[in-house]
Amino acid sequence: MGESAYTLIIATSAFVGLVAGFFMHRSDFCVTAMFRDVFLVRDFFLLRMLLLLIVASMLLFEFSRLGGLLSPYPFPLLGPGSLATLIAGALFGVGMVLAGGCVVGTLYKLGAGSVVALVAFAGLLTGSALYAEWHPWWSDFARATTPHEAITLPQLVGIEPVFLILPLAVVGAVVLYRWQLRGLLVRKAYARGHIAPWQTALVLVVLGFVSWFLIGMPLGITTSYAKIGAGIESLFLPDRVQALAYFQVQGLNYTPPFADTPVQGGAGPQLDAVAAIQYPLIGGIVLGAAVSAVSVGEWRLRYRIPARQYASALIGGLLVGAAARMVPGCNIWHLWGGVPILAIQSMLFLVGLVPGAWIGSRLLSRFVIR
Amino acid sequence: MMKSDNQIVLDINGQICPSCLLLTLKELNRVGAAVRDGSTEIVVLTDDRQATSTIPEAVDKMGYTTEVSGSPAGYRIRVFARR
Repeated sequence: MGESAYTLIIATSAFVGLVAGFFMHRSDFCVTAMFRDVFLVRDFFLLRMLLLLIVASMLLFEFSRLGGLLSPYPFPLLGPGSLATLIAGALFGVGMVLAGGCVVGTLYKLGAGSVVALVAFAGLLTGSALYAEWHPWWSDFARATTPHEAITLPQLVGIEPVFLILPLAVVGAVVLYRWQLRGLLVRKAYARGHIAPWQTALVLVVLGFVSWFLIGMPLGITTSYAKIGAGIESLFLPDRVQALAYFQVQGLNYTPPFADTPVQGGAGPQLDAVAAIQYPLIGGIVLGAAVSAVSVGEWRLRYRIPARQYASALIGGLLVGAAARMVPGCNIWHLWGGVPILAIQSMLFLVGLVPGAWIGSRLLSRFVIR
Repeated sequence: MMKSDNQIVLDINGQICPSCLLLTLKELNRVGAAVRDGSTEIVVLTDDRQATSTIPEAVDKMGYTTEVSGSPAGYRIRVFARR
């Protein structure tokens, strides 16, 4: 692949990350809160924002696919669903609530100066790298519990995606319209420079499209967490990293939309296509959130937090990091990218995530927040 | 937590949601009757942006009133009786 194609990938990822980080910080667009607050305080507001994001993505992705703008389709790294996905989704749900943020929530909070988010981030890297220790038997388990090789629901039932996606999107749009009439898509906000979450949801839809159109896949970052973790581990235990099969696998192998030759990448510490796609996205989200926080005069180190919340963030981060590799894939990958195209793995992840978030909420209110 | 004659100051700067909201609700559970009859009010000091939306909405459903203003460290959310 030529240098210019890599330049396009890196520039796109950095831009998408910067914009996403800025908007997520301004709206406090926390995916963890979308699920957690339903169970903790019966607050469905942010969950409605997720539905808006999914429905709008369904429409934009599907019409773009029909227009020949999205390739490859389905995007790379999506696998078939399995029992392993369901279990790992539940673990992810528990972890994200304990961590106080998901894989991107942690980043934008970190960018705004949250030290507890930094602790969760350290847990994410560690958990992601630790997964390599049990990858062989977990992948065997995933294979053994995969009922069908289809990637998406339309593939499974053997019909054109538009015949499933469009009716579901219309139903979702009607529900959203009714909520809008009842004023349920907005709420009062007093934070400086606040951007309404519905606006951020739509910005994220466009960013997902931009990423898929220019890079060949929507937003996702957690393979890089394993990669960074492997890089750190290789400083101390290089032989161990070399010996672990997970770090040798080149799971990503595809031809980006504006490239002539395929690219490869994996969770190992080397700089490859995964690093080119995801490192700038991670850096962009952190920087975008920092710019947002500085511009409203709110960037400061926030560390005055009870010790049990730090412990919770670390444990939650470890769980999320490991679970994201076990799924495989994180919440933004599946909820913002996979669910809108009815990817089976993504829908199973969501089914697991909900009870996981419930368990996490129970643990949080029982042991962490006092 | 600082207390004055008729004001309870809940300084939770540094903490993020959901702890901001849950700690406020916990305090309301404790002194809700006094807040409701107007003999006291709760002032939450927070630097969490999300809390400026979640706390007013939650306590409004419970029948209280809120007033949000900026403070040097972040935000000041006053919770008091609905009149």
